[in-house]
Amino acid sequence: MSRPEQKKKLAIYTATGCRACEQGILDLNYEVNELGRFADPVFWPYVLGTPWEALSEGKVDVALFAGTIRTEADRQAALKLRESSELLVAVGACAAFGGLPGLANLADATEAKAGETTGSSSADGEGKPTLPRAEPQGLCLSQVVAVDYVVPGCPPTQNLLWAAVLALVCRGESPARLSYAAGRLPEAVAEAIAAGVLPRRGTTFAGEKAVCGSCSRIKEEKKFGICKRPYQEYQETGRCLLEQGLICQGVATQEGCGGICTGVGVPCRGCFGKAPAIFDPGAKMVGAISSTFDSKDAKEIAALVENFVDLAGTFYRYSLPSQCSLLATPDKG
Amino acid sequence: MSKVTLDALRWQDQPAQATITVNGGPPQVYFQITAPREVAAMCQGRPVEELPRILSILSPAHHLCAAQALDRLFGVEPPPVAQNMREALRLALFFRDHLRKFYFLVTSLENPFADFWSQDAQRGPHGLRSLLDDLMRHVSLAQEAAIILGGRADHPVTAVAGGVSRSLKEEHHARLAEIAAACRSCAERLGGFLREQVFPQGKILGEIRGLEAGPLTSLTLAPEPDGLVLRGAGGGEAERFGAATLFDKVGLHQETWSYEPFAFLKAKGWQDLGKVPADSLFFVGPLARLNNGQPLATPLAEDERQRLVEALGPFPRFEVVAAYWALLVELLGSAEGLVALCEVEKLSGPVLRTIPKAVGKEGHAALESPRGLIYHHFRTDERGLVVEAQVLDTATANNGLFGILAQRAVEASLARKEPWEETKKRIELSLLAY
Repeated sequence: MSRPEQKKKLAIYTATGCRACEQGILDLNYEVNELGRFADPVFWPYVLGTPWEALSEGKVDVALFAGTIRTEADRQAALKLRESSELLVAVGACAAFGGLPGLANLADATEAKAGETTGSSSADGEGKPTLPRAEPQGLCLSQVVAVDYVVPGCPPTQNLLWAAVLALVCRGESPARLSYAAGRLPEAVAEAIAAGVLPRRGTTFAGEKAVCGSCSRIKEEKKFGICKRPYQEYQETGRCLLEQGLICQGVATQEGCGGICTGVGVPCRGCFGKAPAIFDPGAKMVGAISSTFDSKDAKEIAALVENFVDLAGTFYRYSLPSQCSLLATPDKG
Repeated sequence: MSKVTLDALRWQDQPAQATITVNGGPPQVYFQITAPREVAAMCQGRPVEELPRILSILSPAHHLCAAQALDRLFGVEPPPVAQNMREALRLALFFRDHLRKFYFLVTSLENPFADFWSQDAQRGPHGLRSLLDDLMRHVSLAQEAAIILGGRADHPVTAVAGGVSRSLKEEHHARLAEIAAACRSCAERLGGFLREQVFPQGKILGEIRGLEAGPLTSLTLAPEPDGLVLRGAGGGEAERFGAATLFDKVGLHQETWSYEPFAFLKAKGWQDLGKVPADSLFFVGPLARLNNGQPLATPLAEDERQRLVEALGPFPRFEVVAAYWALLVELLGSAEGLVALCEVEKLSGPVLRTIPKAVGKEGHAALESPRGLIYHHFRTDERGLVVEAQVLDTATANNGLFGILAQRAVEASLARKEPWEETKKRIELSLLAY
């Protein structure tokens, strides 16, 4: 195939978080050796050390934004990349929903204040440099700017990340590698990728149903008679983890990963965000579990409920900022 | 007073920049981490068994360290197959981390994405394209091994209290053995390239030749279980102590200009970063591990260690070039270790977990991660919810080292009157080795 006449300009950035999403993007290049053929990464501080001034040289076609908005610098980065980019993509659970750093929103307010003090941007008499001020709490990208597409996961799986790059960057110019990803994408998104046109704005590159739909574990009868924690004894293979009494969020989480965690014997924690038909994953989990209690005795149920711990930190493990923001919705750029 | 900020520094796990102020005298360099990592806040109140999954946000090796801390907290000993699977994952992470660093090193002078398909790029200005393809392929392979063993490569999930959560299938065993052998061959090829074209000739590393961070104390795991060793800047053992007392020995100092605290030795007290010698600081990582001067168990790694000694002199070493060489030694050693471990009988067995009988109140673990020693200490309430999680990450342990390296890199650049762009490269290449 001939080289595209004009490569798409790509920006890649991580705010507060780890580098797993960026390394996943880098691994696309390792695995398919094609990223450089279709995209010209004009702004990638982690790999290329690009300064912000590079964004003033013209509009970027696609910006892949990972990480939680936790500092004023993160907010400014989001605003700048929104302004500079045709398409802004939230990559990974942190950008999409707030992610693990968002868990810190549950911590005591005194800790948040300590962080704020550390990050004070007040001038220092000795000429020492300053830090970007910490935001009052961690936010997801869409709480700061409008987001065009979402690639969920912590980190996103390679097939869905590649599907997003095919759809948004290559736009039909790549050899058809769609089968790699299409099996877990909604039909309309897969068809758009195949046709080389942009999927509908707001598309999440993930499945249409819940993780349970693609989990390979055996589902029998949902009766919640005991609440277990993952350090206790359970069958690592075979039967549905929820049916064994473990809190597993597959029932409330968007499909697309193929049940990676449940497949290796640990419960789903919801890194793909809530399934499309669900309003609140925590409420869904409470409903799913309480409706299958294997008892009608109030005392037994009360004893069972006693064993549920840290529900907010579990049900909203990756989505606390997006689901439980204490702030008013900020203005979007 | 003039101030220059070099932003953003490449290849850093956290957003980082170097700010340089000059006020008539020598330059003052601040290595700044500009985003917080609120690990304690993330962990507080969580069920303790969830920490291996949460703390992997720091690096995949933290998943393994947290699982070891859970073993101790719950008072359980993982069965041999689980210990082997965890160790195989640790080695795969070593290989991937170190190889990725070499990928960054090899591409440090050019944009690896530029003109990828042009005829010139097939050869590349440094004749590196085929080597890069080889490195890329084997980073992917190591990642695949990590996924088999850990469920995920970057945020693994399979290490649980008392063992692992998955058993391997027949095809996994065959694939792991294949990957391990390929990784060993790749490490040998890379070693040949580095020995011929990089270490002796100054190619790529020319900008940092002569740069060193030392002398500095090193902190590593001791040979005996649950022990740590502080080795003085002269190479002799300064102190040996139980891992549980690490935070009795090591303090964390917070500056207003960086979100990352600085680890220091409490016995020496916190001293200004510019103090010479920097005897309150220590460092961790591949070079710190080699600075014990002990022979290695695997032949290819030991041969490479000997070559390092012949070229640079006996340990302890503190040059940045020695740190890169230490990465190669460990790359070879991790691949050899994987080959030895990826045998069916070592990674298969009927029991994967020792089931805890009761919730403990306290657990700790120290682990040698690719970047150096890491440490976890958890305290819980009667329901097993985290009351306190203390973590020493390599970013904190080496924060002082990075400050020293950045300072010396800038001083060397200013002495040569180099443009700031070259200064930035010099800092980046210095830090990448650790």
